[in-house]
Order: sequence, then structure tokens, then C-alpha cells
Amino acid sequence: MEDNKCPKPIRCKAAVCRAAGEPLVVEEIVVEPPKAHEVRIKIVCTSLCHSDVTFWRMKDFPGVFPRIFGHEAFGVVESVGEHVEGFAAGDAVVPTFLAQCGECPDCKSSRSNVCSKYRFMVRPGMPRDETTRFVDANGSPVYHFLGVSSFSEYTVVDVTQVVKVDPSLPPPTACLLSCGATTGVGAAWKLAKVEPGSSVAIFGLGAVGLAVAEGARICGASKIIGVDLNPEKQELGKKFGVTHFINPKELGEKTVSQAIIEMTDGGADYCFECIGLAALMSDAFQSSRAGWGKTIILGVEMHGSPLSIPSHEILHGKCVMGSLFGGVKPKDDIPILADKYLNKELELDKFITHEVPLKDINTAFDLLQQGKSLRCTIWMDK
Amino acid sequence: MEQSTAKKPIRCKAAVSKVAGQPLEMVEVDVAPPRAHEVRIRILCTSLCHTDVTFWRMKDFPAMYPSILGHEAAGVVESVGEEVVEVSPGDTVVPVFSGQCGDCPDCLSDRSNICSGLPFRFLPGMPRDGTTRFAFAGTGEPIHNFINVSSFVEYTVVDVAHLVRLGPGLMIPPDKACLLSCGVSTGVGAAWKVAAVEPGSTVAVFGLGAVGLAVAQGSKMRGAKRIIGVDLNPDKCEIGKRMGITEFINPNDTGGKAVSEVIKEMTGGGADYCFECIGSTAVTAEAFSSSRMGWGKTIVLGVASGAAAPISIPSYEILRGRSVVGSLFGGLKPKTDVPLLAQKYLDEELELDEFVTHEMGFDDINGAFDLLTQGKCLRCIIWMDGASAKENGNGGVNVKPKQNGTLV
Repeated sequence: MEDNKCPKPIRCKAAVCRAAGEPLVVEEIVVEPPKAHEVRIKIVCTSLCHSDVTFWRMKDFPGVFPRIFGHEAFGVVESVGEHVEGFAAGDAVVPTFLAQCGECPDCKSSRSNVCSKYRFMVRPGMPRDETTRFVDANGSPVYHFLGVSSFSEYTVVDVTQVVKVDPSLPPPTACLLSCGATTGVGAAWKLAKVEPGSSVAIFGLGAVGLAVAEGARICGASKIIGVDLNPEKQELGKKFGVTHFINPKELGEKTVSQAIIEMTDGGADYCFECIGLAALMSDAFQSSRAGWGKTIILGVEMHGSPLSIPSHEILHGKCVMGSLFGGVKPKDDIPILADKYLNKELELDKFITHEVPLKDINTAFDLLQQGKSLRCTIWMDK
Repeated sequence: MEQSTAKKPIRCKAAVSKVAGQPLEMVEVDVAPPRAHEVRIRILCTSLCHTDVTFWRMKDFPAMYPSILGHEAAGVVESVGEEVVEVSPGDTVVPVFSGQCGDCPDCLSDRSNICSGLPFRFLPGMPRDGTTRFAFAGTGEPIHNFINVSSFVEYTVVDVAHLVRLGPGLMIPPDKACLLSCGVSTGVGAAWKVAAVEPGSTVAVFGLGAVGLAVAQGSKMRGAKRIIGVDLNPDKCEIGKRMGITEFINPNDTGGKAVSEVIKEMTGGGADYCFECIGSTAVTAEAFSSSRMGWGKTIVLGVASGAAAPISIPSYEILRGRSVVGSLFGGLKPKTDVPLLAQKYLDEELELDEFVTHEMGFDDINGAFDLLTQGKCLRCIIWMDGASAKENGNGGVNVKPKQNGTLV
């Protein structure tokens, strides 16, 4: 039983990455107590998001090693640091990579979800003091990832990045709301504000893309076109509301944008890029309708390449926008999405395709890279 | 006088572009009568917009030769083709390169001003049948139209979807009406409709030509608190301030710092709205970098030349809540919105007089090109000589603008 008044360091297991692209190693680490404005969380389960993979592969800055990855998770508050209000030991919470301080102009405005007081950055340490809370068996620091680091039995997260959730949520479902599902559903619902009868095109039917489809579905879109190189995504997509499927390899001479323009009689109202490839961002833009077509960029570009927009085309009333976390304010909107799930308006269980114990976490990486999974739940205690 | 020319070709003067970048040649042309859905207009005055210059310099498609350039004008209806009920001979009209058919999903929606019924295309002739109404007098060799208007000619034929009627209640001087035909409407419209600048906003305007200054005007009308003007020409600072600019940046005077760095410093993170009013993809990228994370919008108005590189946006930057949007004609629906701007001018809410920096006769039109390319003018109003149509070799009645500017 931990003493909340004076939390102590905790010895526990974590999956540590010691070199870019190398399998994670489950090791013993020590997790220090939460400092002021921080919360220590006992992770119940976590899942792998492609953004973890992108940075896991990165040799150069901001890739740093050794690091504990993971940013999609569900857990229970174990202890809180000084000045933490609203959280107590035992609370069901999800950590989020995006902060919400509630005080800065962005948090105060409904137009923005990117907290400017605690800006999103890929840092090696904690957001306020840049130091780490993890120490390995040799006493060396282990770096954080996005201030979450959920591939560990215990982690320390800044209070601006912790969201209380309804304890009746199944843990693997709550975990999805921590990143992927919220990003996709949020993008359709909050950012694009897809209206009934719209046509939507989604590039990349991973968890984020399918979450966009789910979001577009509950918003009443009439046409949801999914684009993916993996033919298996056609059947899978139908479960998420995808009405038309395009495999770019099976189009012959036609380009994807030509196909979409034909299907929608001029271009889709909303095009979402959910992979992270500049060439696809351009394709998505070309596929949007002149007059009011919006292209929404969600993918984190894998090589840092810029997006290219033909200038004469954008003059025809097109718009390109991007967001982190689907335009969602974590503390305000995750509970709303949780409610939509609990009253069965939003379906999330279909995202979970696999589960493994922590010791088999590398299987999750294999499955994702091979395109065989959407979300693989990684359980801490099993 | 007008009725007697109906249904017949009109022989009159035109300034024709025969070779890319060469001075326009004053020649006699025959202007065919209007076909169905078309209107023949006697141009009262026209002005030079930089987009005319961009196409005048262009060697390859979509530039076509020979052609009659010009798309900013004001005129009077001379005769109408079949099916035209919206305007009658004698009506004051402003032609617009961007159409409004009124029936298509775009015209029926308030989200779009890009008519899909008569979509904007680069055609050598009229929007419905692609043929031209202009020919060289004598040889009969056809002369291409330019973006649905062709105003560097005493008479032109315009599709009714590209025409705005200014009724008797909206009698504004023809040179002011001319400004609403493109440049000023584009700028004011962009601030009002595309960006929807709200009171207290911070705006940055890249390029203080007529469009940029109209953006400044429009932003001021919408209650923007700070309007930062960016231009390489230091003379633009003074006129800019008269048009609503609150601060001025000359990129050559920043001590080597990028303009976006300067703007981010000045504004504590970036402007709410950044307008590109030049037609440079490099400047568009700079404008994007100058916009605020979270909600910063970049609005692209400038028309780049055909060979221009695409706009390059750093992909991590766009994830931080920024957006880029473009528009033609400032997002305005011509028939619906141009009369509203004319009313705002009459109500003294919209300043138009300062845009007219020079006036000249039609024969001096090449002087306008010099002034604009040298950055020495905003709008040169080119006045036609009056009704000098020579159907029978008779002279016409000279119509000159009155001192107080109302149309005859």
C-alpha cells in the first residue's frame, strides 16, 4: 500500500528501447515519485500507435536512447505530486501526448487545441523541467516519450496531460481514447465538422483512418471512400462505415485523385490523410472538391518531407488544414467521446484486433508493421 | 443611338496583345453581336490588374495570341442576346472574370463562390461555346478572349453569368465601379468572406498592391486591431497607412531576419490571418510560417505564373492547427456581393478613391503597363474615347465622365 503523502520510488518492469529500430527489452527500472504538478500512474494496459514506430525508427534527433515509448494507455492514479488538484489515488485515467493547461489563449479558445503554455514537443524529459523520472538498473536515466511513456508498469505524467475517465469503460477501449481513436473521430467530428450527406475520402485505413470513417459515419456522411494498398482493408473497412474502397495498385492508368473525383462528381467534400506521406497529402488535396473541399492532414510525415500544393488549385476555394489529436481538447472532449461509446453511438471495440502481455510487446510492433493489426492491447499484469 | 447597332458587328478600337511581353497594338476590330446568354457592352473605362500583366508576359498556354486582355472594367449594355432578361440596353454593368450561373450546387451554397455550372477555364473564346466574338477588321482573323471579359476594347461581349448589374440605386462613378470588377473586391472579399476577420484580430498582408491594400481596407472594416503590411517598396508604407496598415515591414530592412521571424516576434507567436497578395509561392510559404499555431489561417489570393513551383508547407507545422485556403475573387459571389460593396462605397464605409492613382486615355494604355510593372501606381483608369463606334463611318457621340463622376 503506497503512502500518498510521501510517495517513494517504485521498482517495476518496463519495455526499454536502447537503439533505433531494435526490439524492446523488458527490464527492471525505478520510477521516481511525481514532482509538483505531476501524477504517477499504474498502467493497466497500453497499445501501439504508428507514431511510436516512427520515432522508434529515428536514429537522429529527436530520436534519443534509451527511451520508454508508448503514449496510448489506460491506468489508475497511484500517487500525485504537490499542487495537483482534481486527481486522487485510484482514479481511472488516460494519459495524452497533448496537454491542456486551461489557462493559455489556445486552451481558452474554442478555435484551438494546441496548448501554447505546454507546447507539444518530442522531448527527452518531462515538460516543465526537462528531467527524467526513470532510472535503469545501472542508475542511468531512461528518456521519456511525449511525456507519457506508457510501455512501463508505472509512469509519471504532467497533470496537464492526464484525463479522468468513466471507470465503467473497459480498459482496452479507454486506451484507444488516449490517441488513435480520438484523433480520427475528433478529426471528422470536431475539426472537419463533417455534415450529413457529405462525401469523405480517407487515405490510409489504419486505426486513425478507420476512426475517421467511424467519426464520419456517426456524423452522417453519405459516401466514405477508403484508400489503402492492403486489399484486406476492404472487408475490414466495411465494419467501420467505409462505403467505397480504392486500392491504388488496382487502378491501372488512373490516379487515385481521378478515381475519387469520378466517384464524387467533382471531388470529395473532405479528404483525410492518415498515413504521414507528403505525396499522399498532395493526392488527398487533388481529390478534394473545388469550391469548398477541405483536406485534413493527420499523419505525421515519416521523412519530414514538405507538403506540396499547386497554387492555382488552391485558388479554387480549396483548404488544407492539419491538426494534432484531431482538433480535440483532451480534458474536455475525451469524456464526451467516452459517453458516446457508453451510449453506443460510437463503436470502438472493433479497433482491438490483438492482445499480448508486456513480455511479448515486440509482437505488437511486428503485427503493426506487417499491416496485420489495428490495435494490439498490451497488458501489464498478464 | 445604342439600338441602331444591335444585331450587327461593331467596328471599333482595341488594344491587342500579339506577342508575349510586347506593347499592345491599337487596331480596329469587329465585335460580333451577342449570342444567346451574352451581352455586348460599351466599355466606359478599364484598369490594369497585375493578373493581366502575368498573362501578357506568358509565352505558353494558357496565354493565347493574339488576344484582347483586360478584365477590370465598367460599362453600359449596348445590346443583349436571346434568353437575357437580367440586363437591358442602357444598364450600367461590371463584368467579372468569375461567373455566377445561379443554379449549380456552388452558386446555391454559401460555402462556395466557384460556379460549377460555368466553371472557370482558360478558353480562347466565350464560356459556353468556346468561340470568340473578336476579329481583326479587314482580315477577319479571330482574336482570343481573355478570362471571360476582354476589356481592352471599346465594345466587348460578356456572358450574362459574368455580369453584375448596378441598378439606379447604386450609381457609383464608373472608375470606382471598375475597381469592384476585380482587385478591390478580391481583397475586401478575402478579409470579409474567406478569412472572416473578427474584431481584435492580427492580420499580416504580403504585397501592398491594390489587392493587398484592399485586404487592409477589408480587415480594418472588420475591426482588425493590427494590420501588418509587408512590401519591398518603401513607398508603400505611406499609402499603406492611409489604407489601414498599422505596421510596415520591408523584407530588405530586417537585418537578415526572415519576415516570418519578425512577424512572430512582433505578434508573440504569429498573426491570426496572413494574406498572400502577390502570386509568389515562396512568399506563400513565408506567410504560412508567419501564421499563429492553433488557429492561424493563410489566405492565398495571388495568381502565380504557370511555371511557378508549388507552395511548399512544412508538414509538421501544419499539424499544429494551421490552415491554408485560397480563393478567386475573394470568395465573393459577383452578382450578390459586388452591389453590396458598391453600397458600402456610397455609405462611405469602403474607401475606393485612393486606389485610383492615375488616369489616361485608351491610346496611352501601354503607359499603364509601365507604371504597374515599375510599382509606381495602384490602379490606372483607362478611359475609352466615348461612343466612337463606326458602323457606317459616322462619328459617334463623345461620352466623357462628368466631374462628379456619375454615369450618363
